[in-house]
This record gives sequence, structure tokens and C-alpha cells, in this order.
Amino acid sequence: MDKNNDQQIKQLLSNPDTQRKGFELMVRQYSEQLYWQVRRIVLTHEDSNDVLQNAFIKAWNGLSSFHGDSQVLTWVSRIAINESLDFVRRQKNMTIVSTDEEESCVANTLMADDYFDGDETEAQLQQAISLLPDVQRTVFTLRYYDEMKYSEMSQLLKTSEGSLKASYHIAVKKISEFFKSHD
Amino acid sequence: MEEEKFLIERVGKQNPFKVPEGYFDTLTSQIMAKVDAEKDAQIVEIRKVKKAKSVWLRPLLYAAACGCVLFVSVASYLSHEDQSIAAPAESTVASVQTMDYYSFDEAADYVMIDNQDIYACLSSEY
Repeated sequence: MDKNNDQQIKQLLSNPDTQRKGFELMVRQYSEQLYWQVRRIVLTHEDSNDVLQNAFIKAWNGLSSFHGDSQVLTWVSRIAINESLDFVRRQKNMTIVSTDEEESCVANTLMADDYFDGDETEAQLQQAISLLPDVQRTVFTLRYYDEMKYSEMSQLLKTSEGSLKASYHIAVKKISEFFKSHD
Repeated sequence: MEEEKFLIERVGKQNPFKVPEGYFDTLTSQIMAKVDAEKDAQIVEIRKVKKAKSVWLRPLLYAAACGCVLFVSVASYLSHEDQSIAAPAESTVASVQTMDYYSFDEAADYVMIDNQDIYACLSSEY
């Protein structure tokens, strides 16, 4: 992450006259990275697109609450991740199905999705991730795919590094067990 | 960590997701269009709130205007009333004066003196 860019965005966002320009720069700079964070939680492209746009609208509306204490990317990532988890929770509440149906549902949906390029094993991994609780799911995707440092993750999720490490280890263990049980 | 190694060997870390072609090229403009729409909606909302406030205040303005008109009307009515009360008073004085003049003539007739006698009487005194 370029700290100079982050600093420039912060300065532009702090002035009402340059706020829109700063916001556009922020979107240009971070939207792709945030899209992938959202996509790994939400799974489908259409939903990820909606969630990401809602996250940016929330960020725009909440600009007054951003005082520049953290990095811009950390702040906007937190909004995007919370928005993604809210979406997943709402979706779960809308479709109350049994655990077996839920398991097969995710993998089957992904295999039928035009924007899923993986094989069956990769679909199963996504299925296993979707069964994890919110924190473990978030920590696993950020660490496994983005290789995010625990210190960075700690600022993003406002959780101690020790607890994040524990969550990751538990998540990896659960996913491994999922695969072993399906062999 | 053994379990992590197992996962990497079994599945790998490659991104299995795709996006429509050119999606990231237009993503910024898509998001900014939504942000601008949100900004415009907020401006309309602020105007609506201001308008709603002015609509709410309008009856008070009308009431104040009615009060002013009523006050001016009552004030002008009362000042006319004063004048109409004062006018009969003047006519009363006039009538009193007329009466006095009348009674003087009557008195002069009664004592059978004319104006010349009165003038003569007045001039002899000074």
C-alpha cells in the first residue's frame, strides 16, 4: 500500500471542496482490492458488486466519522467487510435450510456460476469456508488468499493478534477436517 | 502448520473467481455515479426539510399578518370613536354658547334696553 497516496487521499477527504476528488481517488485506488475481499465472503459476482457499491455509499455518508486516525484502506475495508458479513447473515436468515442442504447448495451454486472458474475441489473449499463463523471466515480469507499480516488484520478487525491467530488455526483445522470427511 | 500445508497442496491458493470483462475498468465510474446520485438525493432531502419547515411556519406568518390587520383596524376604529365622542361635546359647547347668546337677548328685551343703551352704559363706566 502506498502511504503517500493514502496521505494524499486523507488530505483531499478532509477538505469539503476536494472531498469528491479524494473519494474518487480512493475508489480508483482500492476498489479492486476491496472487491476481492467482498467476493470471497459473498461468493457471487452480482451480490459482490452490490455489496461493494453499498459499502462505498456508506463510506461516503460516513466521511464525517473518519478522522484520519487509521489508514484510508483500513477504514474502507472495515466497512466493506461488515457490509459483506451483514449481507451473508441476511441471506442465511432468508433461506433457512438444513446443514446438508446448505453445504451442497454453495458448491452447486458455484459450479453453475459463469463467474466461477474453479474446479470441484475449489468449490468445496468455498463451501467449507461458508460454513465457518463470521470471524473465522473473514480471518481465513484475509490470511489464506490476501496473505494479510496479523498486525494489519488486528487494526482492520479491531481484535488482538493472538485471537486472530487462534481464529485462523481453528478455521484451517475445520476446513481440513471438512475435506478429510468428504474423501 | 500441517493443516495449512495440506490445504495448499490439496486446493492451492489461486483465485477461483472471475469477473465480467472490463468490469474493473468501469467500476470507479459506476461507484462514483452512485455516490453522485446519493449526494443529489441528500441535497433534495435538505431542501425538502427546509421547505417543510417553511410550510410549517406559513400558518404562523398568516396569523401574524391577520393580527396586524386586526390591530390596525381596532386602533383606527377606536380613534374614530374618540372623534365622534369629542364632536358632540363641541356642539354642546356651541349650543351652550348659542343658548347664552339667546338668553342675553331675552334678558335685554326683558329690561327694555337696546344695544345703544348697553354701549352707553359700558362707555360711562370706563
